[in-house]
Amino acid sequence: MNAPARSVTYRTRPLPAIVPIGLFVVVGAVLAGHGFASERNIANLGLQASILLMLAMPMTLIIMSEGLDLSAGAVLSLCSVVMAMMLAGGHGLVAALAASLGVGLAFGLANGGLVSLLGLPPFVVTLGTLGIAQGAALVLTEGNAVSGLGPGISALYADHIAGIPLPVIIALATWLVTHVLLYHTRFGAYVFAIGGNRDALVLAGVRASAWHIAIYAYGGLVSGVAALLLTGRMNAAHPTVAIGMEFDAIAAVVLGGTSFERGDGRLLGTVLGVATITVLRNALDLLGIESSLQVVSIGVLILVVIMIDSARRTWRVHPA
Amino acid sequence: MPLLALRSVSKSFPGVRALEDVSLDLHGGEVHMLLGENGAGKSSLIKVLYGAYRADAGTILHEGHLVDIKRPADARRMGIAVIFQEFSLVPFLDLAHNIFLGREPRHRVTRLIDHARMHREARAALDSLGLDYDTRALPVHLGIARQQMVEIAKALSQNARILVMDEPTAALSDREADALFAVIRRLRADGVAILYISHRMKEVLELGDRVTVLRDGRRVATMLRGEASANELIAMMVGRAAGAAGAVYQRRHFGEPGATALEVRGLCTASGVNGVDLVVRAGEIVGLSGLVGAGRTEVARAVFGADPITAGEVKLFGAPVHGGPDRVASRGVALIPENRKQEGLALKRSTQDNLLAASLWKQFPRGWYRARPARRHARALIERLRVTPGEPRRLASVLSGGNQQKVVIGKWLVAGCRLFMFDEPTRGIDIGAKGEIFALIEDLVKRGAAVLLISSELSEIVHVCDRAYVMRTGRIVGELARHDLSEENLLRLAMHET
Repeated sequence: MNAPARSVTYRTRPLPAIVPIGLFVVVGAVLAGHGFASERNIANLGLQASILLMLAMPMTLIIMSEGLDLSAGAVLSLCSVVMAMMLAGGHGLVAALAASLGVGLAFGLANGGLVSLLGLPPFVVTLGTLGIAQGAALVLTEGNAVSGLGPGISALYADHIAGIPLPVIIALATWLVTHVLLYHTRFGAYVFAIGGNRDALVLAGVRASAWHIAIYAYGGLVSGVAALLLTGRMNAAHPTVAIGMEFDAIAAVVLGGTSFERGDGRLLGTVLGVATITVLRNALDLLGIESSLQVVSIGVLILVVIMIDSARRTWRVHPA
Repeated sequence: MPLLALRSVSKSFPGVRALEDVSLDLHGGEVHMLLGENGAGKSSLIKVLYGAYRADAGTILHEGHLVDIKRPADARRMGIAVIFQEFSLVPFLDLAHNIFLGREPRHRVTRLIDHARMHREARAALDSLGLDYDTRALPVHLGIARQQMVEIAKALSQNARILVMDEPTAALSDREADALFAVIRRLRADGVAILYISHRMKEVLELGDRVTVLRDGRRVATMLRGEASANELIAMMVGRAAGAAGAVYQRRHFGEPGATALEVRGLCTASGVNGVDLVVRAGEIVGLSGLVGAGRTEVARAVFGADPITAGEVKLFGAPVHGGPDRVASRGVALIPENRKQEGLALKRSTQDNLLAASLWKQFPRGWYRARPARRHARALIERLRVTPGEPRRLASVLSGGNQQKVVIGKWLVAGCRLFMFDEPTRGIDIGAKGEIFALIEDLVKRGAAVLLISSELSEIVHVCDRAYVMRTGRIVGELARHDLSEENLLRLAMHET
């Protein structure tokens, strides 16, 4: 017992495999040329990554709590549709954003409530809300794109602060907020605890179910903000535009070394996962490889990273 | 005045009286030992104290005032802290976070967690136990003993006035246990009230100022230090009546044992088995007794090939074994696990499907399932095992616990097994069915099978077995022949430190 506790700390534990593999993808993309390293493409990368980063941040917390959110893409589409309809109806940007946040929050609370209070499996719950959100978006728009939003929102999207595009700043701010939440607040500690040992949290006198709902609610709110970027990018809203985006978000989280079990996760890993997926898709675009093959390549990437991470976990010597 | 007093507390669950009219005083500056066999109500008592259960009847007085402990948060506010036996650590949160879970110190203005202060105070909590673990370490990288010490540090850091410890030394080495005892003596001197549950007689006698014995949910006696000897305490735990009236089954027939079926020499495993020798012969029922966590299940799992063996040898029917459960099972060995619902049965399938699951190739060697012979075969088995209701199509999930167990036994019976290892075969089964299960087991050995019976019910071992081994902390500490088998002898071996 008095031997020095040479324990692995949070900081010193091994990096997930995404670090070398992500680097490999980036270097490969640069070397492959086709204008990948051009200034214009770099700016483009930032814009492409921003919405994915926003979805992947709360998704990390949800997966760490042994949950899943399949509805993220559909809820984002619905938020975007609601925002666009408000703008098209002559309301201001603030009112439109508030409506979008409201829709996102409502879905987040519904997801969290069903998972936490009724104990339903997150996969099934969010599959259900995915259908509801997608259906609602189609009903509201009758399946058509919503346009005629006025210049405000696209101007916002094209704005820069200190030479950095505003969408990139909003996405980075989401990262910063999520980082502070996860590592510097009670909420964050309880995310680890809900995934790792929910009973311990209850026995510590904490209302675990409320915090569990809050995790999903945060996801809904971030979708509400992300709708700003999605709508601004096209200066229109389409009811199914963001469907499938949850796939990339979940992929980024998993690539980043977050586990579906026991509350094992790290936010920086997800950021690297987002970067890797974005670079990969962008480079394959530049090489003229079609979108369906891009999905295949992301799938292969996930399996490779997971296999390496899981093999390293198995081989690691057992604790003292 | 006691810091905390329970007055006539009762708690029932459907079919079970967990606590009945239990009164208990916890005084400041006193270590109060709680003794009792498995199922005596110790855990329920803790849960009532901590607000995990609410008592059906009775009152709790905190410093003389009537209180209602509805949830753990209420208990915490009254200065009650519990060191749980099941670990309550979060695997991927660092030790400082774990120690302060639910009461993280926060910055006055920003309300963010004050990491510097939290790590400083966690350091102090660990230092007070003489632990040099890094406060940034993750529990997932610590072994069981270290996790237990962190658990203790966590409870101590709450500055509890009333501290409950549920077998805190079960996972500790002697040195760690000594460090803990030093802390307990210090806390006692500081006026803390300690409720301490232990199965180790040495701790009870050395540390306890007062001892309460529970049996079947009732308080048998409360005594001051020195008022009862170890043997008297054991007699109180067992109960005088248990010898005759408590028997659920009386073995009818004892035969001469035949050839050796299982021979274990110097068995060690990573799961804690430490040099076990034992022999089971055809035609005998051999008990494996001991307290929960003594390593009994681990022995059975290692024999079955489910856990790797680090040293020693296992011989089945005279020949050494290699390989996993499939290889062992193919030699005619059955392990009937404790949690039969998860490991022994397909709950959503019929009685018939479950009965035939392990012998399909034997019944239908050409791989072609035929419904009519299967049904006939199932009916014959149901009759032999006396499964009720005797309908082959009935889902296994709707059978009673006793009948489910019969189906599990029957499954291995038709597979032609000759060595049966039962792990707590009567857990959760009503008394009538227990007798039928033992009748089945006796029938097995009469037909020449060998049986290893793991049971925490001392009376089962006494009344069913030809002889029994007793385990403590991964070792066999004694073997009792038929004429020495008594509950007192079993408990004495299981609890006494050597």
